[in-house]
Amino acid sequence: MLKGKAKTPAPPEPESGAPVSAAALETVFEGCYDFEARDVHIGGDTARLARLCFIDGLVSGSDVAEQVIRPLTDPKRFGAVTDIKAVVSMLLGGSVYVYTAKRRDKLGELAGDLLNGFCALVFDGEKTAVTFEVKSPQRRSVDAPKEEKVIKGAKDAFVETMKINTTLVRRKVRNAHLKIKEFHLGQRADTAAALIYIDGFTNEGIVAEASRRLERIRAEGVLTSAVIEENIVDNYRSPFPQVISTERSDKFCMNLLEGRVGILVDGLPLGFLVPGTFSQFMKVPEDHSGHFIVASALTLLRYLAVFLTLLAPAFYVAVAMYHQEMIPTRLMQSMIEARSSVPFPTAVEVILMLLAFELLQEAGIRLPSPIGETVSIIGALIVGQSAVEASVVSPVVVVVIALAGIAGYTMPNQDMGSALRLCRFLLVLAAIALGMFGVATASAILVYHLASLESYGVPYMSPFAGSEGRHLSRALFRRSMTVKRDREPELKTGGGGEAKL
Amino acid sequence: MKKAICALLAVGLALTATSCSGLTLFSNYRRLENIELVRTVTADRDGDGVNVSVYGTAGEQSEARMYERSGPSVGVAMGKLILMPLGREAILSHTETMLIGEELAEISIRECLDYVERFSEMRLDTGILIVRDGTARDLLAGLSGSDTPASDTIAGLSLNIAKVGEGYFFTAREIASSMADNGCALIQCVRGVKEEKLFEARGDLNLEPAGFAVVKDGAVCQYLTDEETLGVILLLGKYKSRNVDLALPDAAVTVSVDLAETDMKPVFDQDGRLAELRVKLSLRANVINIAGEADITDEAVRRECERELTEIMTGAVRAAVRRSQELKLDYLDLEGVIRRSSPLKFEDMPDAWEDVFPDLPVTVEGSGVLARTYDIADPPELSGKEDKNPWEKLIESLKGS
Repeated sequence: MLKGKAKTPAPPEPESGAPVSAAALETVFEGCYDFEARDVHIGGDTARLARLCFIDGLVSGSDVAEQVIRPLTDPKRFGAVTDIKAVVSMLLGGSVYVYTAKRRDKLGELAGDLLNGFCALVFDGEKTAVTFEVKSPQRRSVDAPKEEKVIKGAKDAFVETMKINTTLVRRKVRNAHLKIKEFHLGQRADTAAALIYIDGFTNEGIVAEASRRLERIRAEGVLTSAVIEENIVDNYRSPFPQVISTERSDKFCMNLLEGRVGILVDGLPLGFLVPGTFSQFMKVPEDHSGHFIVASALTLLRYLAVFLTLLAPAFYVAVAMYHQEMIPTRLMQSMIEARSSVPFPTAVEVILMLLAFELLQEAGIRLPSPIGETVSIIGALIVGQSAVEASVVSPVVVVVIALAGIAGYTMPNQDMGSALRLCRFLLVLAAIALGMFGVATASAILVYHLASLESYGVPYMSPFAGSEGRHLSRALFRRSMTVKRDREPELKTGGGGEAKL
Repeated sequence: MKKAICALLAVGLALTATSCSGLTLFSNYRRLENIELVRTVTADRDGDGVNVSVYGTAGEQSEARMYERSGPSVGVAMGKLILMPLGREAILSHTETMLIGEELAEISIRECLDYVERFSEMRLDTGILIVRDGTARDLLAGLSGSDTPASDTIAGLSLNIAKVGEGYFFTAREIASSMADNGCALIQCVRGVKEEKLFEARGDLNLEPAGFAVVKDGAVCQYLTDEETLGVILLLGKYKSRNVDLALPDAAVTVSVDLAETDMKPVFDQDGRLAELRVKLSLRANVINIAGEADITDEAVRRECERELTEIMTGAVRAAVRRSQELKLDYLDLEGVIRRSSPLKFEDMPDAWEDVFPDLPVTVEGSGVLARTYDIADPPELSGKEDKNPWEKLIESLKGS
């Protein structure tokens, strides 16, 4: 067991209201090798000193030198000003070339600014400091999405910097009613997050509930998406995703315009949207880029893929083990032939193949991209073929498992695909135990679970359940853009929020 | 939650483990590789009992096998048979055809139908055939070849028989339904014909259709001729195509009758009695072969062909109706046709259908059209002239009517 405990006393927390001094600040950042502090002669006068503090790497060195130090040490500008109070006043009034300048009288606020890419001029005599935003430009530039492929659409994906992400949203939704509320999440990491919605249009109840759930987060830091997702969903035990997460800014904005609430977190190149419903996870932004008939056909295909990926292995197991009368004669003959040399029972054969498929997939994801792809392809081709040739599995099982796997890959959302994969295993186990009765029972339990889920008061399976079957076509088909689009009635959006002011 | 996950995993492992040892929860478990797939079943008379045989395969590549057993009833004999395939489990769910020997069919066919209808493994869409001039068992054995399983030969005939208009494979469901509705039913007959083998892998016999048998009170009471069989097919709407030879003075023209539609209309007199049943037969044929000298482009020759065709086909319909009336068995379901056509008048008829049916005048009219001759001198109209005047044709036909 690890012995010992944290060194006491702990450095002051950012919320600390202690008075500002250079020494106190240096104590706070004691042991931080990237913390830098130096004296600056105001107006070039060696008698008038200010302590310049910043965290190396978070700030731009050239900006500090050019925009803060250079004007501050300029005798023409500050040489005649002897009073420090006047200096502070001039700094806040724009005598240095930084667009954001804040006066800080509390140590906690000052430390917080430094951690957010500000540099500080500390005036010990006045027990005050002025901070300037000189963030380092070292951040990932906006690029095309890596995980969600764009065929015909905007290629500006979210990055790790929240400000850039909010800018992307603002550029797409130029509306003064687009509100961005800031939150600070994480008891230690202090991660900034933004709650985004269109005021007057988005349901106030959803906004209030999302705010409440964000404030409720008690994690040490928000460094992974699961911290956000599991804390803001209604039922965190369900494997089905209830938060739409996307790296595509256009999808994010589209959902905002439909009345959803968006969440951006600093450090995560993702946008989160609530409420998430099953039908939303079946849609991709390309549906709104292609022809509406093609988009509708593809949506239907995705729903078919859900059934295939979920039920194909279970159906095969049930039919091959118990209900052989359901198999057409010719197929039955070839299945008997193929099975005759396989030593394992059908149940073991299918479970082995499902596990092998999952292992291949996991290996493909974990390995670096070129190797991962090679492993997946070689695994699928060589291992599958060899397994059939060695009579470890029958070819029909390979086809069924591959079909189910490929159908699973058509899911626009990876979390949904993972949930369906998990359910596929359970359905196969039910089929092994009770055949078609087991499949029917397990499917009924699954439907019951999905129908009982809610996301921010919206039935998860709407419009299939919870809306008396109305608006079904909205989930299954895309109407032409020439027709005025129906709003999702479950989101209960308001009439306001129009761009005209 | 942890307990639930542990329980779920334990159940999953238990299920998988039990499956490995063949102890699944559901008792219907059968290992696929142990199944003997029965495709054809036969039934013949054997003294006072029944001889049944099954014909099946284990897999695509394995050779078909035949097993037989006798017993006092079909059920008992089949029970004995199911025990026969050593190391395998025979399942009857894929039985496509049941062949019944002529001798047994003339005594009782009810038991065979009963077995198909009641035994849960058998399907109602199993085809029922009666074997003429021999036993079903011998026919099945004779059809079996090393490369052409008997079941495939029977399946091939069932696919093609309707295309040549020489019969129709009625299923157990259709037969039972007809028995319930009309008290009688039709069953397709087949016979084995010894022919010279075209290739060594086929069996000694070939299969050919042998008309319909009429079943009444659970046994065959009459076999229909080829002409009557054709008429039945036309009246029951099972017709797809048939080649008909037309004898002209100097030539024989073979036509393919690709369309034959019957329209039946009952005529009631002023007292509400059913006075007549008018059957209108519309035929459309194309020339496929001419033997001898005949100018098919000549309008007169064409008219002669159409007249001859109409006569043959209407003759078949008349013969079918006549036989049905003679037997006083409405296997053509004329009652159903009239009831659907004029339900109120049929209900108000003063006489019972059973009394009216045997002496009901049935008028059969036909109109045959020779659509295409495929003659070089009579090319199809490609200029669009034909398509331009369909309205004129319609107006003319309306004026005519």
